[in-house]
Amino acid sequence: MMELPLAAPPIGTESQLVIAPILVVLVAGVGSLLFGRWPRARIGVSLAGGAAYAVVVAAIDWYVVLAPDAPGIATYQLGDWPAPFGITLVADGLSAFMLTMVAILGIASLVFSTRVLPEIDRRSYYFPLFHFLALGVTGAFLTGDLFNLFVWFEVMLMASYVFVAYYGGPQHTRAAFWYVALNLLASAVFLLGVGGIYATTGTLNMADLARRLAEPAAYGIDPGPVVGLLALLLSVFAIKAGLVPFQFWIPTAYRAAPPQISALLAGATKKVGIYAIIRLSFTVFGDAQVGVDLALPGLGTVVAGNSPTAFVGAALFVMAAASILVGGIGAVGRESIEGVLAYSSIGQVGFIAIPVAIAATTGSAELRHLAIVAALVYALNHTLAKGLLFLAVGAIRSSTGTSRLADLGGLAGRSPPMAIAFFVGSLALVGIPPLSGFFGKFLVFDAAARAELIPVLGLLLVGSLLTIAYATRMWNRSFWGARTPAVENAAVDSVQVGVLIALAAAIVGVGIGFELVYEFADAAATAALDADGYVDAVDPTDPEEIEGLEGGEHE
Amino acid sequence: MTTVIMRTTARAVVPIIFVVAASLFVEGHNLPGGGFIAGVLTTTAFAIIYLAFGLDFLERGVLGRDVDLGKETSRDRVVVAYRRLFEYGLAIAVTSGIVPLLFDRPFLTQTFVEFEDVPIYHHVEIASALAFDFGVFCVVVGGLLTILSVVGAE
Repeated sequence: MMELPLAAPPIGTESQLVIAPILVVLVAGVGSLLFGRWPRARIGVSLAGGAAYAVVVAAIDWYVVLAPDAPGIATYQLGDWPAPFGITLVADGLSAFMLTMVAILGIASLVFSTRVLPEIDRRSYYFPLFHFLALGVTGAFLTGDLFNLFVWFEVMLMASYVFVAYYGGPQHTRAAFWYVALNLLASAVFLLGVGGIYATTGTLNMADLARRLAEPAAYGIDPGPVVGLLALLLSVFAIKAGLVPFQFWIPTAYRAAPPQISALLAGATKKVGIYAIIRLSFTVFGDAQVGVDLALPGLGTVVAGNSPTAFVGAALFVMAAASILVGGIGAVGRESIEGVLAYSSIGQVGFIAIPVAIAATTGSAELRHLAIVAALVYALNHTLAKGLLFLAVGAIRSSTGTSRLADLGGLAGRSPPMAIAFFVGSLALVGIPPLSGFFGKFLVFDAAARAELIPVLGLLLVGSLLTIAYATRMWNRSFWGARTPAVENAAVDSVQVGVLIALAAAIVGVGIGFELVYEFADAAATAALDADGYVDAVDPTDPEEIEGLEGGEHE
Repeated sequence: MTTVIMRTTARAVVPIIFVVAASLFVEGHNLPGGGFIAGVLTTTAFAIIYLAFGLDFLERGVLGRDVDLGKETSRDRVVVAYRRLFEYGLAIAVTSGIVPLLFDRPFLTQTFVEFEDVPIYHHVEIASALAFDFGVFCVVVGGLLTILSVVGAE
């Protein structure tokens, strides 16, 4: 009686691991939904899900990427349908690096959430939504299918819409309205781009796309429109990453969402945008044979290449430069800590995008590799530091009731452990050795210097000075000086501070054990640039090969 | 809206909608249809009932319960039931995806069983996708009805 449509070989452990993070978050999300009537059980399920997620991601890191005999890449075919027809999930170095980053911050934010919500809030849908946000991020990192990427983006967005409007006040509703309107537009553009790519190339499986675009003649396709379509997709990812000129939603949305969610929005969902840019520009479109000839405004350089990646690089240079300036200058004058952090996020994403742009425009394979490593290390530092600082905003707000700089002062004396954690986070943002931020910034400067882009070096320097300016101002106004009444009466929660200390320790740990982190980022950059390895691992079937195998028909 | 014409029409139309929804649901895995569209159609039937007979009709008229008028709608027993339906539906859909893992098959793998010589129908095909579709159906009905009754009351 049992007859399967397409017989597939039994799946190995590495393959099982690919889907494990998605399943863990999905089950944790549904479980926390079912236990809604018992807040304690719901928190228990959520924390257990977080712990399981950490274990599974660590297993992927080791068995797929870092172990001596690791394959470096593992794939999974959902529902037993072969690529490119079914949905492919791929875990390689790049995905694993991103997942690890998100897992660290996600668990910190989850533990923090259990301490910051009053009893009544725990009964609402906070925890299920938290898991669905994590589900969208996880899925986006693991999918090997362009349309599926769109679906995971939507999963992520649905949850974040609710979070931006979570407190339900007028300014939160206003922020959510902007956020929803902009993202609906972005989704429509994304869909348009995906549809165009399907019409042009006849496939949406990323490996199949990479293969077809590398030899367009062999597949009888004209890849010309792909450059424009990639530009459409790039604008969508730039909205997610918050690059100028798509940054305007960030300050209101980050201020409106609960701080521990802002930590995730800055640390995880932004990185999905960065990840999508890297994955599509290099792994998928990197080998595409399309001529591009473009003068770079302001720098006098002419970008020419035989792949659309050169175009991505040129666009990214402009957007990243504007982001660094807008974010840095905007952050200096803000009135609340989360306002400073929100603008700082815009600037920091510019720092991540600069090396990506260098990698996209350079002709040297070695420099391209180095630049991607720099972007990844900087992204890791930003996730840890910005996550820590946003969680600190949550801790400050729940102990003093405010996060306005005018109402704060003297926090350092009130809670030294919190001050130490905040200080470490700020220094990591500035880039002081031996913290993770130093290596991130060092690698970005190194990449720019090797590319011999003097204006870019100057820009990075200005950006760094602006970072020092707003970080110092934020620290001076809130942690030093005379204690205000709000600070005097503060009741600091020890678990919240514990989470901050743990993240600060992680930042120091990344700096001290940087060799291992570098090795991981190196593997991630290799994976991002190895389009052939990606195609071989997914091994999409040719439609001609499968014609005799009409197993799905059963009428 | 509660005119005699509206109520009479509702009596005739609602059963038809339910039958169409059921048929869409059952043939969903092979033909156009499925849990989502069946759920949406079922919800429209409920919407017609709400329009014709009022928001409390289900509690008072069908289930024979007393309605506490002062209470917040979102805490209503029917609304709580809708929310449960949503939650259980999600659980069913996820579970149906995980079951293939027990048989060493990838997540969401589906199969089907055919029965011959069944009275009246002769040939019946039961697909495992029905379980997933049922979960989706519950999610859609539960979710939409929660929105409809809470927003409708406001």
